[in-house]
Amino acid sequence: MKLGMWKAYIHVIRLAFIFTLKQAMTDAFVLFGIFVQPLIIAIMALFVLGDQGDEIAIFIVVGSGLTGLWDSVLFQSGSSITRERWTGTLEALVGMPTPLGVIVFGKNLAFVTQALSSMVVSYALASIIFGYPLHVESPVLFILSIIMTVISLVCLGLVLATLFVLNPDVQRWQNGLEFPVFILAGFLFPIAILPQWTTPFSYMLAPYWAAVALHISSSTNPGILEVGLPWIMMGLLSVAYLVIAFWLFKKMLFKARVDATLSGQ
Amino acid sequence: MSKVIANIRLFFQGAVLSYIALFHWLRPSQYIATKVVGPLAQILFFTLMGKFGTSGESADFYIIGNAIQITALSGIFGVTFSLAGDRWNGTLPYLFGTPANRMTMFLGRAVIHIIDGMFGVLIGFTWGVTLLGLDLSNTDPLALLLVIAVTTFSTSGLGLLLGSLSLITRNVMFINNTAYFVLLVLSGSNIAIDRLPSALQAVSNVLPLTRGIASARAIINGATFRDVRPAMLEEIGIGMIYITFGYVLFRWIEVLAKRRGTLEAM
Repeated sequence: MKLGMWKAYIHVIRLAFIFTLKQAMTDAFVLFGIFVQPLIIAIMALFVLGDQGDEIAIFIVVGSGLTGLWDSVLFQSGSSITRERWTGTLEALVGMPTPLGVIVFGKNLAFVTQALSSMVVSYALASIIFGYPLHVESPVLFILSIIMTVISLVCLGLVLATLFVLNPDVQRWQNGLEFPVFILAGFLFPIAILPQWTTPFSYMLAPYWAAVALHISSSTNPGILEVGLPWIMMGLLSVAYLVIAFWLFKKMLFKARVDATLSGQ
Repeated sequence: MSKVIANIRLFFQGAVLSYIALFHWLRPSQYIATKVVGPLAQILFFTLMGKFGTSGESADFYIIGNAIQITALSGIFGVTFSLAGDRWNGTLPYLFGTPANRMTMFLGRAVIHIIDGMFGVLIGFTWGVTLLGLDLSNTDPLALLLVIAVTTFSTSGLGLLLGSLSLITRNVMFINNTAYFVLLVLSGSNIAIDRLPSALQAVSNVLPLTRGIASARAIINGATFRDVRPAMLEEIGIGMIYITFGYVLFRWIEVLAKRRGTLEAM
């Protein structure tokens, strides 16, 4: 691919990112997902887990923030193409010379980045309201883990967005997928307390590896090898999600052009 | 006499039709995801978090609390969407244009959701017994069923109030979801009420579900319905207050909308 093309794609991603960010800030449901719900989950977790001592607070901040991130991926990134269909702008986007995947990538990047603020909200709650002394043990590793988390969740969002458009029956499970991932990804308790047969499902989820990386870098001083495994897994899963998303995008656009069903089923 | 029969007919027909209309968009797969799998996941999440924590509550505390709280899915979301649906689908002007009894029409929106909400709670308890070992051997099933019915009624009362609000706000999903999660924190489903700050305990006291959850826990631990009757009477009273507020708001919106010609405006 030519350099000019890459530049054009980055420009589109940037614009889609900025526009989505602005638009999402006016959507009360988005604000609920990234501010209110993580805050309420953090409050409950502080009551339920808070007796374990001050060191659990940063675990709760990160864990409840991750619930906001997953909600954003599931409900916002997952619906990023469906929403264009509802508003009648999908045909125009598909007709543009820029691949639809590039635009959706920019949108999903905005949703996931914006959802990071749920951690800030939880941090403020635990620190100001509940008075816990909070500090991130390994700030550099934590920031790198956040970057890997964002990349992997954006890629996962691309899979969900296409899957939901291709199969509305899957999208109808959207509400039912919220808490299972909270559980399988070990956001607020270790997956060791789950039955062993569930472990492979956790390993297939980028949110699980994101939780591992963020929890160990915020609560402990891990070696680079220790935090390296979740980073590698997030990298590998991102590639796998991208391959699946690429295939699903191709399938979706082919189906839409053959069946002329872009705006309907 | 014929007026009474017409109102009864309107009540039941409105209830059934609003429920069918809801399933115009709520497909069976979505129903299973939301009402069968979702509650299981919610119960599991909070029970597992409770097991990991050391707050001293038993697993049963979370199972019972969340199983009862699931009634809010129908009571809050179902009832609200029944009212809000008229606005989204453009049928609100026709609704306000009919000479039909408003109270009958208003209450009819909630009745099937009360039955559905009770069914949802029973699904929650089924998960609790079969997967998490909830012991119901000391439970009077009829008393528990009555507690579930009363609690679902009072929660639907809050749903009717929120449903009326949905006629004047664009952010119905924000209001619904916030109400649902506030109930998770303040109703005693996951945090014992006496652990909350006193200001929040006061809020908890005026919410539906609070007494229902406490009564369900008592019944499952061997109490009789007579023991929880005062709490249940209060729960009914709270439900009635929410219904009254909701109805007054509903009528006020109608009057205002007709006067200003802003039936579907913000």
